[in-house]
Amino acid sequence: MLASIQRWLARFDLVVIAGLFLALLPVLHVQRTTDFIVFCLYVLSFDLIYGHMGRLSFGHMLYLGAGAYGAALCSVHLSANPIVALAASVILAGAVGLLLGPLVVRTTGACFALINLAFNQVGHFVVLIAAAAYTGGEDGMTAAFSRVGPLNLSQRTHMFAFALAILLAAVWFVRRLTGSPFGILLRSVKEKEERVRFLGYDTTRYKLVAFVLSTSLAGAAGGLSALNYGYVTPSFIDPGRNVEVIFAALIGGAGSVYGALLGGVAYMVISNYLPDYVQRWEMFLGFALLLLVFRFRSGLWGWIAQRAPRPAVEEVAP
Amino acid sequence: MISTLAYGLTIGGIFYIISIGLSLTFGTMRIVNFAHALVYTVGAYVLMAALRAHLGFLPAALLGVLVTIPIAWCIERFVIRRLYGQSIDYAIIATYAVLLIGVDATKWLFGATPVPLSDPIGKHVVLAGVSLPVYRLVIIAVALAIFAGLELFFRRTVVGKVVVAGLEDKEAARAIGLSVDKYFSLVFVVGSCLAALGGILYAPITTLHPYMGFHVLLVCFAVVLVGGLGSMRGTFAAAFGLGLVMALTGRFWGPAAETMVFAVMAATLVIKPIEV
Repeated sequence: MLASIQRWLARFDLVVIAGLFLALLPVLHVQRTTDFIVFCLYVLSFDLIYGHMGRLSFGHMLYLGAGAYGAALCSVHLSANPIVALAASVILAGAVGLLLGPLVVRTTGACFALINLAFNQVGHFVVLIAAAAYTGGEDGMTAAFSRVGPLNLSQRTHMFAFALAILLAAVWFVRRLTGSPFGILLRSVKEKEERVRFLGYDTTRYKLVAFVLSTSLAGAAGGLSALNYGYVTPSFIDPGRNVEVIFAALIGGAGSVYGALLGGVAYMVISNYLPDYVQRWEMFLGFALLLLVFRFRSGLWGWIAQRAPRPAVEEVAP
Repeated sequence: MISTLAYGLTIGGIFYIISIGLSLTFGTMRIVNFAHALVYTVGAYVLMAALRAHLGFLPAALLGVLVTIPIAWCIERFVIRRLYGQSIDYAIIATYAVLLIGVDATKWLFGATPVPLSDPIGKHVVLAGVSLPVYRLVIIAVALAIFAGLELFFRRTVVGKVVVAGLEDKEAARAIGLSVDKYFSLVFVVGSCLAALGGILYAPITTLHPYMGFHVLLVCFAVVLVGGLGSMRGTFAAAFGLGLVMALTGRFWGPAAETMVFAVMAATLVIKPIEV
């Protein structure tokens, strides 16, 4: 009985995810729920290189910011069509990833983490000072979008549905990707890259593809948040905020699509409601991170998957 | 122009002092110790507190270095060693968590407003028609002295030679029976003390604020990368080179100084990719 429920849940997981986000709607504001969805998409993109490929990036905000500024700049200079703007954000973030990828994907561990962080710092400098004439510097820039057919994104419910649709598409895509031979190769790279190379695979190329896919997805998240807020500020690319997505990926459970979604929601709940009660937010975050690293590595999803009777949902998933 | 060059050499000296610890932990353990930025900040703040308590600059600086010893030891013993041999990513995240906690504690104790410190020597000398603060020349001298001391330590003493062996090939050093890890906590504490010293020396030139460690850590990481992983002499050369790059860029366009350092780092990575 339980097993059949699990199988059903795994089969219709997109419906379940959509249902759960719809269930959040009455609890939160519509805009905030959209915010949750966008952040989940961002965590999903981060987890593609952290959870699946085993590369911890401390500079993923760069790609979120590239997407956000891509959408905003597109709305001002090119076209106010939100779908074009979203495409521009994906293309810009993917292009930045393609430019930096060849430098960073060769490295692992600490090098990967900090080179990404350094580039994020450069990106922050570019939008804050170097290109301030276009990006508005510290004040940021507003982005107004036109309506496309029946889709009017200035209406909160339309924006919610649009973001949810993008998230579901991304979940479907990432699940297909990680279930494919390509995904198996990525996990093998995570376990022992040398052996994969011995088998004759050009791992650098595969890692680059995964990296660019991840940056493009992060760019989509950035573009969606520009659409959702109607403005972009340098905080969208702030290198100090990288710890957020790392925290979310850890608390949800790295290496699983559902873990990423769970982590995204968990982090957003914590960061939206806890600062009212916790005076020293950074200290709290630090202790929570230590706790996660030492005691709770498999995250929420790992915790659930361990307790679920076999066959676990994750393994049944196609 | 001469004062710009002197400034470049000064901050280069400070980058070198801070980068030693990073280069050593990075070379032996392959982790980046974010908590390095914390001991740097702690050193500077202890100096400030001691100066406010009317201590002289030298005793205050000594106090700042000594205070970091137990902190560094605790970080090594209770955070890094417990995660060592497991995933490197967890160690990086854990040291970042320690940095967050420490920075917030600093903010709690001293407030978030930047604090300027005055030049402890306050004298100027005239070199080639340009007046230079003596303090900056002292910093360059301290950095050179530390470099000479470390060279002696690594070439002449047994402990130093073991550390060098660990830097060059850890597996091989282990295979001939050297317990590299045993010396590691010593190296770690010494590196942290030097980071604190760097913070103390830098404090009178810049201003203190709780987040001062973040930027310096990134620049020093660039120093370690440009100098070559695990190469102490490379770190020395890269520190002064990047210090000059930063000073020269800052002379023409102040905000771009740091970005220029990362541009040099990216160029180095293009010419000589790192595969670790």
